[in-house]
Amino acid sequence: MTPSVIGEGAPSRGRTFSPFTSNLNFRKYLPALPLLLIVGYFFLYPITKLVYVAFLSNENTLTLSNFTTAFKDPYKTGFINSIKIGITSAVIAAIPGAIAAYFIESKGPSKLRRTVAVMSGVLANTGGVPLAFMFMAAIGIQGQLTKILKAAGWDIYSGQFSLGTFTGLLIVYLYFQLPLMVIIFSPAIVALRREWVEAAYNLGADKVEYWRRIGFPLLFPSFIGSLLLLFASGFSAYATANALTVGNLPLTPLQIGGLLDGNVSATQLNLGKALSSLMILISAFAVVPYLVIQRRTARWQKR
Amino acid sequence: MRGKRLVATLASAVMVTGVVAIATPAQAAVNICKAKNVAEAGGLDNLVKAAKKEGKLALITTPRDWANYGAIFDAYEKAFGVKISVDNPDGSSQYEIDTMKTAPKSRQPDSIDIGPLVVAQLTPPGGTPLSSPYKVINWNDIPNAAKDPNGLWYGNYGGKLAIVYNTSVSPVPTKAKDFTNPAYKGVVGITGDPTSSNQAFMSVLAASLGNGGEKNLSDVSKGLELFKAVKANAPLVKVNGTNLASGTAKVGFMWDFNALGIIPAAKQAGLDLKFAYPTDFVLQAPPYINAINAKSPNCANARLWQEFVYSQNKGKTAADLTDADLKLPGSKLFALMQGGQNYFMQSGADPIMSKAMTTKKLLVPSLLDFKVASTAKIVGPPTISDVLAAREQIISSWASL
Repeated sequence: MTPSVIGEGAPSRGRTFSPFTSNLNFRKYLPALPLLLIVGYFFLYPITKLVYVAFLSNENTLTLSNFTTAFKDPYKTGFINSIKIGITSAVIAAIPGAIAAYFIESKGPSKLRRTVAVMSGVLANTGGVPLAFMFMAAIGIQGQLTKILKAAGWDIYSGQFSLGTFTGLLIVYLYFQLPLMVIIFSPAIVALRREWVEAAYNLGADKVEYWRRIGFPLLFPSFIGSLLLLFASGFSAYATANALTVGNLPLTPLQIGGLLDGNVSATQLNLGKALSSLMILISAFAVVPYLVIQRRTARWQKR
Repeated sequence: MRGKRLVATLASAVMVTGVVAIATPAQAAVNICKAKNVAEAGGLDNLVKAAKKEGKLALITTPRDWANYGAIFDAYEKAFGVKISVDNPDGSSQYEIDTMKTAPKSRQPDSIDIGPLVVAQLTPPGGTPLSSPYKVINWNDIPNAAKDPNGLWYGNYGGKLAIVYNTSVSPVPTKAKDFTNPAYKGVVGITGDPTSSNQAFMSVLAASLGNGGEKNLSDVSKGLELFKAVKANAPLVKVNGTNLASGTAKVGFMWDFNALGIIPAAKQAGLDLKFAYPTDFVLQAPPYINAINAKSPNCANARLWQEFVYSQNKGKTAADLTDADLKLPGSKLFALMQGGQNYFMQSGADPIMSKAMTTKKLLVPSLLDFKVASTAKIVGPPTISDVLAAREQIISSWASL
């Protein structure tokens, strides 16, 4: 990778002035040492320990029983629901989010772009109990919007709706998933170069053809990558769901919370750790393809 | 200013040294950190003196608005000049256990207040107990079923489940079966997830009593059926302080002893809440449990706190204590203060020593404006085996209710 960058005319200063690069390879990593230590201590070490403990029984003997229990109900339903809400909220947010990102980045005035960037940043990070409360105040059973809709003749609570149901949580999750999509998809739009459009038109392509053969294939990997990140975010959300539900909608993060920090299921700490390990595994499966796809996209976006 | 403060500091230092010097001969034989009762701590006077000197009491997950704890803190702090700190007030019992196991010395609590379902973790089979044995002066008044014979833990106060409701609902709910009334559609629920919250767990038991399961406390299927029927109307809401105060939740079960904290909070938000016991069957839940942490950083306060929480006197609350009172020797001061058990009584909780205190005519009246109706039957408390059986049922079917 390095030679090709230099070949493309990147300044070669680093190479000539740095006396260490060629003979002492590890020195290159020296500046990263603090980061590596932090990652090791706060990330790798806890994960290793967590996975290890997940294989222990309450008597500290090695066992697989935590994992066999984790694959049974109610934990199985927990995983199914969590994966379902992760995928659904990701898919629903991804398409409008991507379209919004495209129009804002390519057609919008710079003022709008900046405003949207700031707003998305704030909204995508809105979560937890405040988010739950915002929604209760808006479309909770006593919410303002609920009252307005009711006055207009539509009682959203006439059926089985509640913020604590799958549909309810989905609506709440979309509130942070949509802006998150705008944030993570915008760079891909920015990277679409004007030259490519012009080149395509010069060679006789029309708009549809440009999108079909150039624009869409270029954006697709980023789109899938963003989708996977959204999945991970919806899959693992905890505090909001915790504030809105009472355990009738099994979700893995809540079940882990109950097992580790509950007043009732006190003897199943290691089962909670097994569930956590499986969550890490699922998140990893979601992020690994993202990395692969991202590498493919990077090839085009490189300057 | 500065000079003045320095002089004051010096003076108090001299005084403290003086006290220590005088106290040393008496204290030589006692090691408060090992004391298993007040005699081993050198008597109540000495225990109070040592507690004052420590000046700190570290508690954990005991919010001020829970079971009148706020008033107990105020009295203790004022009387003994001790600063009480509460780590993670809204945390769970499991958090308390985990903290005892893993936290550094500086974050260790002196005393814990845990739910009955995690008590077994205090004494791991074959391991060292997490708590230190201690028997309070009134030890014999704690029923045998509610204490460890060696003093490693002891019941403290128990709650009954009352129905909390927003006064705007009509008709007024009077028993668990009413929860299925379509009039409450969408506003009735439970305090939390019964597979992780003790209060929610006991709410399912209380629902079971009111739905035909009053004969057998180990079988909560009737309670689960009731909540299932409620859910058929609309999904269950979370009946917590926030949701009650915003009108999102209007009907549910709640500890009677939290009424004094919950009602004013909702009032501030402009909503009127009422509590009432079910008119058919009332669940008396197993008591919460106190214990001294084996790693307690303030040994004297850990023990004095137990003595205070388990004292039975009628007497002065924080506001009534005069400066003259505060100068009294420890045991005299102690004797004129309202006992911890009576604070629980005022909150509507059932103090663990209520039976003995009734005989001794020491109980003060509850501050609650609701009572168990004469026609209602108090059931319980369920035994540990009842609770464990109920737990299996709830864990296996709550999620898919």
